[in-house]
Amino acid sequence: MQERGEGIAAALADEPGAKTNGTPVVRAEQIHKSFGDNVVLDGIDLEVSTGETLVVIGPSGSGKSTLLRCINLLEPIQSGRIFFEGEEITKKGVRVDQVRQRIGIVFQQFNLFPHLRVMDNLTLGARRVKKMPRREAEERARDLLVRVGLPEKERSYPHQLSGGQQQRVAIARALVMQPHVMLFDEVTSALDPELVGEVLVVMRDLARSGMTMIVVTHEMQFAREVGDRLTFMDEGKIVEQGIPADVLDRPKQERTRKFLRRSLQMAHSLEELTITQEGEAE
Amino acid sequence: MDILASFEWSFIWENREELWEGFKNTMKASAIGIGGAFVIGLVLGAIRAHRIPVASQLAATYVEIIRNTPILVQIFFIFYFLPRVGVSLEPFTVAWVAVMIWGGAFNTENFRAGFEAVPQRLREAGLALGFSPFKTFLNVTLPVGGRIALPSSINTYISVLKNTSLMLVVGYAELTAVAYSIQANTFRTFEMFAVLAVAYLAIVWMLSALIRLLEARLRLPEAL
Repeated sequence: MQERGEGIAAALADEPGAKTNGTPVVRAEQIHKSFGDNVVLDGIDLEVSTGETLVVIGPSGSGKSTLLRCINLLEPIQSGRIFFEGEEITKKGVRVDQVRQRIGIVFQQFNLFPHLRVMDNLTLGARRVKKMPRREAEERARDLLVRVGLPEKERSYPHQLSGGQQQRVAIARALVMQPHVMLFDEVTSALDPELVGEVLVVMRDLARSGMTMIVVTHEMQFAREVGDRLTFMDEGKIVEQGIPADVLDRPKQERTRKFLRRSLQMAHSLEELTITQEGEAE
Repeated sequence: MDILASFEWSFIWENREELWEGFKNTMKASAIGIGGAFVIGLVLGAIRAHRIPVASQLAATYVEIIRNTPILVQIFFIFYFLPRVGVSLEPFTVAWVAVMIWGGAFNTENFRAGFEAVPQRLREAGLALGFSPFKTFLNVTLPVGGRIALPSSINTYISVLKNTSLMLVVGYAELTAVAYSIQANTFRTFEMFAVLAVAYLAIVWMLSALIRLLEARLRLPEAL
């Protein structure tokens, strides 16, 4: 599988944005975000360096998906600042669409365009946003389809593919734009268990190829093996972060411990769990 | 069965030139009316779906006025009232303007519903690729929502075509008006109305067949 990782690296070799100086690719300072009275992000600080894979875990409603949506400006923030390659993108007058061209995002629900074949899903952005000639865009798209293991699906419509295949197409669609960072928003949560692996493998190879990634996930094994750093979020705050194995095996904070215990993947048996007064597994 | 026994095919044949002219006039007013209704529906539907301030309220008012008044009243308004404020229109202009305004209102609703049925998450996928909001509309909301709106907007186009028959009242020589005036002069009522029935059936059938082809080509391959 290592060759495949290098394969993606080769496909992305002409990346213009592989900055190796010290500027973090993404840096967030004291982000606050609320929906009405509901505070979703309560002072988040975050930094991702070039080539790094940051994994974000936490209970549902902890704000981790919102954090990703804020980073590529799909959600406005109330206060705080977000920098992308050293440039503040949350200030007035920033061309939001131009920033988003360099930030790839993959969604839980794939969100492929239902009226377009796989090939057109992949090339739409390159052709109509980047004004890449069709030939070049298709060449790039074919390369990426090979990398995600779907070279024979370019003429298919999204609905003809399994969830795992659709999600791999969605990853390829984001990569065609040659993003400088990839955001993954619980991309395996909507998949049947047997389809999760094929998507995680593609993401692992992408991480190994040197892509900068922020991955919101419930897949603890992935976090442990692929993540360079792990962040645990709860109630809009970063509770704990560090090397994935450290956080997962030796959590310092009680809230992290509680979350990891509740998360069935970390419990050895269902017998260890009970339902608390609040209706949570404990 | 006297009426059938006295049916004279030759009478229709004798008046074929006049009827053909009427048919052509029906098609002319319909074509412009349908084209205009398409454009109005598309633009105002998009404005309504995106709740663009002021324009959206104006579009809603227009739709309500047209939907809640009989088209005959609208035709009379254009034909009799507008000249009093200095806008005097030819019967042909009244014909296509009236059906266009009528169809445009109904089509605004068709397209609004279609665009609103496009899931927000698909629009976000467009934005995430770096499309501006307007280009997201052109590349995502329009092709997906337009397909959703297609069946209902087709019904509107068929109604636009049939509504041109009301232009009888403003003296526009479309098919119905021609047939009506022939039977008024000759009392060949049955022949003329038979011609009308067959002609409209044929036109609408042809239009529907054409549109079904288009629909099949454009059909969204899945439920959203």
